[in-house]
Amino acid sequence: MNSPTADPVYVNSKREGIIILIIWGLGFAWTVPYCYFTGFQTTTENWELTMTWGIPSWIFWGVAFPWFVSGVLSILMCLFYIKDDDLGQAEDEVPLSK
Amino acid sequence: MPFPAPTQILAVSASSAAIWTFLVYTLLVFVIAGFANKLLKGRNFLSEYFLGSRGLGMWAFALTFAATSASGGSFTGFPAKIYTHGWILALWIASYMVYPLCTMGLLGKRVNQVARKSGAITIPDVLRDRFNSRTFGLVATLLIVFFLSFNLIAQFKAGSIILQTLVQDVSAFQWLSGSVSSMVNGFEFFNEVDPGYFSCLVIFGGLVIVYTTYGGFHAVVWTDVMQGIVMVAGVAIMLPLTLSQIGGMKAGTEQMARMIPPRLGTATIELDEAEESARGLNNIWIAQEDTDGNRQLFRLSGTISVPADAKIVTDIDTVEIRTPEEIEKLWANLIESHDDGLWTSVNTDAGEVRQIAIVKGYTHAGEGSLIGLVARFGDFKDYQYGAGQRGHYVSGPAPMPPAKETGDAKQKKDGPTDAEVAAAAGFLPLGMAISFFFMWAISGTGQPQYMVRLMAFKDSRTLRRSIITVTIYYGLIYFPLVIIFCYSRIILPGMENEADRIMPAMAVTLTENVGHGWLAGLLIAAPFAAVMSTVDSFLLVISSALVRDVYQRNISPNASEKTIKRLCYLTTLVIGTIALVCAINPPQYLQDIIVYVGSGLASCFLFPVVALLFWKRSNAIGCMGGMLVGFGVHLAMHAESWRQGGEFTNPITLFGLSPVVVSLAASIIAIALITPITPKTSEELVKKYFEAD
Repeated sequence: MNSPTADPVYVNSKREGIIILIIWGLGFAWTVPYCYFTGFQTTTENWELTMTWGIPSWIFWGVAFPWFVSGVLSILMCLFYIKDDDLGQAEDEVPLSK
Repeated sequence: MPFPAPTQILAVSASSAAIWTFLVYTLLVFVIAGFANKLLKGRNFLSEYFLGSRGLGMWAFALTFAATSASGGSFTGFPAKIYTHGWILALWIASYMVYPLCTMGLLGKRVNQVARKSGAITIPDVLRDRFNSRTFGLVATLLIVFFLSFNLIAQFKAGSIILQTLVQDVSAFQWLSGSVSSMVNGFEFFNEVDPGYFSCLVIFGGLVIVYTTYGGFHAVVWTDVMQGIVMVAGVAIMLPLTLSQIGGMKAGTEQMARMIPPRLGTATIELDEAEESARGLNNIWIAQEDTDGNRQLFRLSGTISVPADAKIVTDIDTVEIRTPEEIEKLWANLIESHDDGLWTSVNTDAGEVRQIAIVKGYTHAGEGSLIGLVARFGDFKDYQYGAGQRGHYVSGPAPMPPAKETGDAKQKKDGPTDAEVAAAAGFLPLGMAISFFFMWAISGTGQPQYMVRLMAFKDSRTLRRSIITVTIYYGLIYFPLVIIFCYSRIILPGMENEADRIMPAMAVTLTENVGHGWLAGLLIAAPFAAVMSTVDSFLLVISSALVRDVYQRNISPNASEKTIKRLCYLTTLVIGTIALVCAINPPQYLQDIIVYVGSGLASCFLFPVVALLFWKRSNAIGCMGGMLVGFGVHLAMHAESWRQGGEFTNPITLFGLSPVVVSLAASIIAIALITPITPKTSEELVKKYFEAD
């Protein structure tokens, strides 16, 4: 629980960081196991190549598809979730505003 | 081992238009540096020179971040890995799907805010000010200088190779190489240095050092923006050219599925005639057929240096093509048109065979020319994983070439090293796939050279929009790169020993094949831009660490701005020059060094920085402990591999996990254990950084 005087950038960054890690975790949880169980000759007997849109299907569904979904989630997160916090001003910025 | 010159890449000529493209590009870089230098006037010099006065807008911030991260590795080492191992590289690089969100979003706002509150200009500044600990700042500075200097040398090598590819057929350059060769002749230091490579290193290094020194951060950022655009344009041009030349994606993937990994070995050649002067031979294919009609096809790798008056050259790295379909195709294109009378009979251990040697560049056009020589082949090694089998280039864990033996390796251990045992499990077994998903997105977040960019954006809105831009940008670059260089195996077979040159070789081949050689200039400018944008950023990070963190904050806090300014210029110049000199005899494996440095920096910096930004209880001792433990574990896993007789850059694993995962775990555990038993940070500092103003 954050105190009422807590810095809003700190509070919001922490909250946003957790969601970012969840998105990373989802990508990881989908990509690595899917590719391992469908694309590795070491895990499948008589492994055969199947293709989707000209690339190996395990790459398409294991990497290209989650890449697209992660991209969409990243964009949505930036548009609707990450807050526009005031980051303050450093002393060395003062000459700029003169 | 001599550093192989890339002269074979341009058996086809780079057109003069390509040179013009490159010259215009270089000119633009200097114009930008000139404008940036003007900005230095009237502003706080240090803040402007090293941080662009914290005023980067969306395009500048997004593209400088993207271009700096992309590095020379993206266009040299990464394509080489795709060429060598196939489609698995899509999984290897997969965490780039969340890379922009993680690397910019996790720490972005907070690191920017803390830097503003403390007035920090560098990452060691942030570390030092957050805990008011001079020692912590110095330790961080030393680690940054150690790792980035190492990487700088590798990037200089990449830039020089690319430049050489572009200019080596130009007569002025050949004259320059010849002059350089006679100038350095007799100096032991230059014995194994290709004069062409050395000339390019001086041109490339000089160029980057001068514009970075002169223009500072804004020059770096604006050139990054231009370089970022060049990179995406390069990929956008290469993708359709590649697909059209291999007959579409489906046909390309099917051909890859039929490929059998080659065998690697060495050859000794005996030329028919010696020449009075030394010469270099490139792109030599040797066809061999026994009395039963069994065909073998070999490609001699790299540039073969033939000394004056010599006819015999030994120990030439050689690739034997093993895919029947490829042998048939190459035989039809290169060999069949030559009369039977041109073949030479050779007695080998296996009986009598006939041989023919052809010099053939990479374009489809032309048959190649005969060269009078006889080759005798030494022992050839099979791949450690995937040998003799189809399907491995389109599946996991992907083919793994045999390790190169060193004299030390043979002496130190009789049995296989841990690295060799790991290699037998393929290129990317499960543990490594997990490690690399951590490696890019998570360890990328811990790179100080990217963090410093996070200190430079203008406001939160800029950050949000930049993450969107970089997400789209990386999507447009990385997955297409996998597609392009998977299919480069089909267009340019037999380059396993010189895979670091596959990008420029593809650029020349693709464009010459469609009759637009001038486009090669733009395509080669893409990796060149990637290297430049990385080198310039590293240069500034290193010099800022030395000037700001060592000199100004520890030796002479009251130094005048004039002194600081001179010192900044001088340090950038000196560091760049030292890296340039070290790159004359550079380390061999570019991508391995990039991975070593990236994972090492993350091991040192990620969790200490996360702790100081988000954990009120964190303190200097705990964070410094985490930093040193991360560094130590990472180093130990590499050193252990070397101790066992393997390569330093090919570390041992723990439970199948790479050093980055193990050392990150060690680092966070160290912070969690040390912090509670050591004194708290002062209330004043906690209040300053964790409570609203």
